[in-house]
Amino acid sequence: MCQEKAAAKVPITPPEQWVDLYGDYLYGFAMSRLRNPDAAADCVQDTFLAGIKALNRFDGSRDIKFWLRGIMRNKIVDQIRKSIKENKVDIEAEDEALLESFWFKYSGIATTNPDPWEFNPRKFYDNGEFWKVFEVCIDQVKDPARQAFVLKVLEDQSTEEVCKVMDITPNYLWVLLHRARTQLKTLLEQNWLNSK
Amino acid sequence: MLTCKQVSNALSKEDYEKLPPLKRFLLKLHVTFCVFCGKFNRQVMESQDMCRCYKQHEEELVAHRPKLDAAKREELQQLLSAHAKQD
Repeated sequence: MCQEKAAAKVPITPPEQWVDLYGDYLYGFAMSRLRNPDAAADCVQDTFLAGIKALNRFDGSRDIKFWLRGIMRNKIVDQIRKSIKENKVDIEAEDEALLESFWFKYSGIATTNPDPWEFNPRKFYDNGEFWKVFEVCIDQVKDPARQAFVLKVLEDQSTEEVCKVMDITPNYLWVLLHRARTQLKTLLEQNWLNSK
Repeated sequence: MLTCKQVSNALSKEDYEKLPPLKRFLLKLHVTFCVFCGKFNRQVMESQDMCRCYKQHEEELVAHRPKLDAAKREELQQLLSAHAKQD
């Protein structure tokens, strides 16, 4: 049994081969989250260096590519933290009004009557082209809503962690996520319907 | 029964698919019938479905994403070779 488990272990790829094998993969991921080529390249470099340091803890249970991707999650958070330090998140007047509104305080929602979708996105979940357009649309969402969306939704960070990184309250995080969802919906309606 | 505020709070903290089964059931029930928060929170849930599905399709998008440029690739290669020699 133990031998079978040992045989199933994924071999360690020497770090000298990481750039060729995983460089583009990790850079593509970092770009999809950070959209800044310099920050994405730094993120890949930090991931590789952290990977070398932690290599003795690699347990071989999954491909090293996915193990490095796991390390990169923290590096993406670090890069966003750095960018937030340079551009502190201020509450916009419109968002402040929403946070103070009766409806938000009573029900935790922004509006009882949001615009319905112009098309049914579910129909296209099996269509690879739809996800390409989706990724382009995420890129076009404005910061800091996009940063909140990346941290909370795409990188699965806890509410507490995102609030700490962005130095905002949980209520404001919710408003930013609402902004991101609304923008994403509008962008998808424009870009997807125009692409067909 | 859950209140609108409880539903909104739960959805703002977590993907509804990760909630315990009973809470998920009560949440779906509330959103289906609530005339106040139903429309809004249904869109939040649909957005969560969409993002979950996007993450499942991400590996297929790798080929279309930007690649490292030659200079950065070379720089990284040298860095990794130097570190590998040290170890």
